[in-house]
Amino acid sequence: MVSKTVLGLFTAGVIALGFTSSAMADAKASIEARQACMKANGGMMKVMVPIIKGQKPYDKAAIDAAIAASQKACGGWADWWGADTKPDTAAGKAAKTEAKAEIWSDAAGFEAAGTAYVTAEAAVLASTDEASFKAAFPALGKSCQGCHEKFRQAD
Amino acid sequence: MLALALIAALGLLAFWLLSTPRPLTAADIPQHTPDVANGVRLYHAAGCISCHQPSPDLKDVATDVPAGGAPLHTPIGTLYPLNLTPDPETGIGSWSDLEFLNAVMRGISPEGENLIPALPYTSYAHMKPEDVLDIRAYLASLPPVKSPEREPDITALPLVRRGVGLWKWVGLDTTPWTPDPSQSDSWNRGSYLVNGPGHCQECHTPRNIFMARDESKAFQGGPHPEGKGRVPSLLGLIERGRYTDAADLASALQNGEMMGYDKLASGGMGQVQRNISMLPESDIQAIADYIASLK
Repeated sequence: MVSKTVLGLFTAGVIALGFTSSAMADAKASIEARQACMKANGGMMKVMVPIIKGQKPYDKAAIDAAIAASQKACGGWADWWGADTKPDTAAGKAAKTEAKAEIWSDAAGFEAAGTAYVTAEAAVLASTDEASFKAAFPALGKSCQGCHEKFRQAD
Repeated sequence: MLALALIAALGLLAFWLLSTPRPLTAADIPQHTPDVANGVRLYHAAGCISCHQPSPDLKDVATDVPAGGAPLHTPIGTLYPLNLTPDPETGIGSWSDLEFLNAVMRGISPEGENLIPALPYTSYAHMKPEDVLDIRAYLASLPPVKSPEREPDITALPLVRRGVGLWKWVGLDTTPWTPDPSQSDSWNRGSYLVNGPGHCQECHTPRNIFMARDESKAFQGGPHPEGKGRVPSLLGLIERGRYTDAADLASALQNGEMMGYDKLASGGMGQVQRNISMLPESDIQAIADYIASLK
């Protein structure tokens, strides 16, 4: 009887442990996906900014390709913000997330910041020549800055 | 028993004397005709608005008016930075020039209390008093706003203020800034802006066990003063490939993350960068020339 209880507890423990570690792996994967998305966005800026600064000629194909790469990397965005990915969690520490707790405490503000980005990105994608690209770009740059200012941890 | 009481009494007396504010006097006020245009420039260089934002309760006040009252969270408690508009009752309209200089450059209120060094008088102490008076002239030109002063939420505040007086012996260096004749005018302007009004070292230099800036580690970065994350080092920014050259750094300070420069928005740097972007191009380039030279 005792041994059965012990065995039962042991099994439950193993399952719980396995569940926890796989949940942790999921959470860590979510954070790493966020980081890859941000990296793709950084890459997108590296294509656009030299054109804005006049260091490179306007190149609609390169701009569109950079946006496509960002959209591909950021496709699962909405699913990556579980409570187990907060900065103080095991996964948050393991993946060195720079996400701030304000993302969860000010969910509406974070949502609005994301919407500003998506809207600005769509406008850049819809731009058809150098003038319309240069007019659309500042809102995109501003959306990066605005979100990082509120929701990204210092260094 | 008597001896112990005597030692305790002497200790208290020493604490009282050593923690007593040491203000500037009327003799320290320079003969100066205020220059409001220079005051605006120094106001932005000093980043006053970053902390003296209007309280969220002041719905009709624009966010770029330094009406104060917005909460500033620090590890020792929440502060409500003062209303800098010239309202005589709730702002600084009735302050004398000497009172303003003492608050900004020595951390002493008109009532003679030590101010919490969240106000970076430890850097402002190196400023030219003329520049500080010009900031005052600019503030005096603003429309007055009613925004009542609010005491900080800090436990045992009077004792903490006294403690700050003691701390000033190690934490407050009042040496005026001096130029380095071997460097360019731009570099020297940058050195002044960075180390005086810009108060960059308040975050970018780590603190020692006395919570004073550890000058042997100047600009090396360290823990973020608000408690979470880290402040990056400003040493070797070009050598480490963060920026291609001083002109690139100037562009980063001018445009921030809007132009794809990374890590210039988080940790409060977004506000700093916005303030810097208000400066004339020559000042931004000067700051970049100086910072790019730090090794």
